[in-house]
Amino acid sequence: MCGIGGIKLTEPGPIGEELVRMMTALRHRGTDSTGFALYGPWREDRLIARLRVAEREILDATLKAIEGELQKAGGRFLGPPTWDSAERAQDAFVRLEVTPNVDVERVTAAWIALGGVEVHSFGHSLEIIKDVGDALTVAERHGIRRFVGTHGLGHCRLATETDVDVAHGHPFWARPFPDVSIVHNGQITNYYKSRRLLEQSGYQFSSDNDSELISVLLADQMKHGKTFEEALRYSLTALDGVFTYLLSIPEGIGLAKDRLAIKPMISAETNRAVVMATEEQAIRQVLREEINTKSYGQGEVVIWARQDG
Amino acid sequence: MESVMDQVMATVLDADVLPPRYLNEQLRELMARGESVVVQNPRSRHNLGVALPGPGQVTFKGSVGYYCGGLSNGGVVEITGNAGWGIGESMARGLIRVRGSVGQSVGASLRGGTIVVEGDAGPRAGVAQKGGVVVVGGSIGFLSGFMAQRGKLIALGDAADGVGDSLYEGNIFVAGRIHGLGIDAVIARPTAEEVDDIEAIVAEVGFPLKPREWKQVIAGRKLWYFDKREGQTWLKV
Repeated sequence: MCGIGGIKLTEPGPIGEELVRMMTALRHRGTDSTGFALYGPWREDRLIARLRVAEREILDATLKAIEGELQKAGGRFLGPPTWDSAERAQDAFVRLEVTPNVDVERVTAAWIALGGVEVHSFGHSLEIIKDVGDALTVAERHGIRRFVGTHGLGHCRLATETDVDVAHGHPFWARPFPDVSIVHNGQITNYYKSRRLLEQSGYQFSSDNDSELISVLLADQMKHGKTFEEALRYSLTALDGVFTYLLSIPEGIGLAKDRLAIKPMISAETNRAVVMATEEQAIRQVLREEINTKSYGQGEVVIWARQDG
Repeated sequence: MESVMDQVMATVLDADVLPPRYLNEQLRELMARGESVVVQNPRSRHNLGVALPGPGQVTFKGSVGYYCGGLSNGGVVEITGNAGWGIGESMARGLIRVRGSVGQSVGASLRGGTIVVEGDAGPRAGVAQKGGVVVVGGSIGFLSGFMAQRGKLIALGDAADGVGDSLYEGNIFVAGRIHGLGIDAVIARPTAEEVDDIEAIVAEVGFPLKPREWKQVIAGRKLWYFDKREGQTWLKV
């Protein structure tokens, strides 16, 4: 199962609140974990990093080590780190603003090597927040509802292949490409082969989840000159298996669907927003009025993005 | 086509307030007594109006989610918006009319009764159909009629690729363009009697009569018996 969804607003607005409502409507499709990829205002002068520290008890020491690794890479914190207020939790979710002059992969690898640190996202605009539990649980702990932005993705997970934990929850960040994220419904059967090829080109993976692979594969294609749309089309033949996924970049959201088209996707559009989700009832939680929806078929690629970007 | 409900005094149920299970219980009780019901605010929720009895009728004001009208044994269902997956799945008797479009697998395993879709149908329309009639005013999606055993699937618009894949004795009639046949599906020209029969059904459910070029998709029967010399046919998936 799994439920995925996305929203793109004409003017910046409460994407956090709207994605929480959508993911609540898709709750029956999976509550192992729920996550959000939120695109706030673009900040050229900084990168926002989202991390999870497994042991809250040693958070201060871990943050010092994180800062140390950042400085070794020539970067520094822009302002003090912040983290979630769940005092009794074992783990802590940290938000950092850092100088943008760093090698993102080097910093990410160094932080992970500290042990007990997961790096969920890097971006001038993107912030990925994911945790175990359903949409309401995750929204409450992480203040998702307050988030204002231009577009975002949501995912509620019914784990089928990999662990039920935060690291294997969606969305995934296309490490090490800032501001690229994915939510995926399905299974990729040529996962190991594609992963080995990407690893041979130097990419590192933060999980064993097949969906992470899609984001890295496509970000790599765009790095080598493919447009957003060409990258999405490339996935139709490069990937084997079942997939309906939403890939997001700063300019907007793209959809691709495999050639057997078993995983559903519906969208609806008004002057205010374009909204897409696994099931129509998630869309109706955001666009309450009865408007026409569109469903997508085999091998379809769709892009909802700014053209100037 | 005017709503069947407009002139009738009806009981109103609100899907924003009633949980689906309770709403369905109410609906069954009212419809078994032959009453007319209006369901407000369906908002594409799943499992509304499942396992309904005759002789009553219900109108959903808006769009419904998955499995609406499924497993029903009678009654008249009208949906003023769209419907999601598996509308009328395994229905034995009754009439379902969708004013908008439907998602995947309309009339899956349908056993009897009639489903009318005024808009388009998504992929796998009439999958494993075992009886009854599905009439789609627009187009039918990818792999429609897959493994259908009996009954009629009628499309006034086009059929997407893969229509009639692995058919048994299901009958698919397409007035528009056929974009591609499924494995072991062949196009046949329907007889004059079959055309009369189809047009009578189409007119009865309220579509205007006009000249249409009917094509019928039937089984080529090559998959019905295994023949190792035709092994390649089995591998064409």
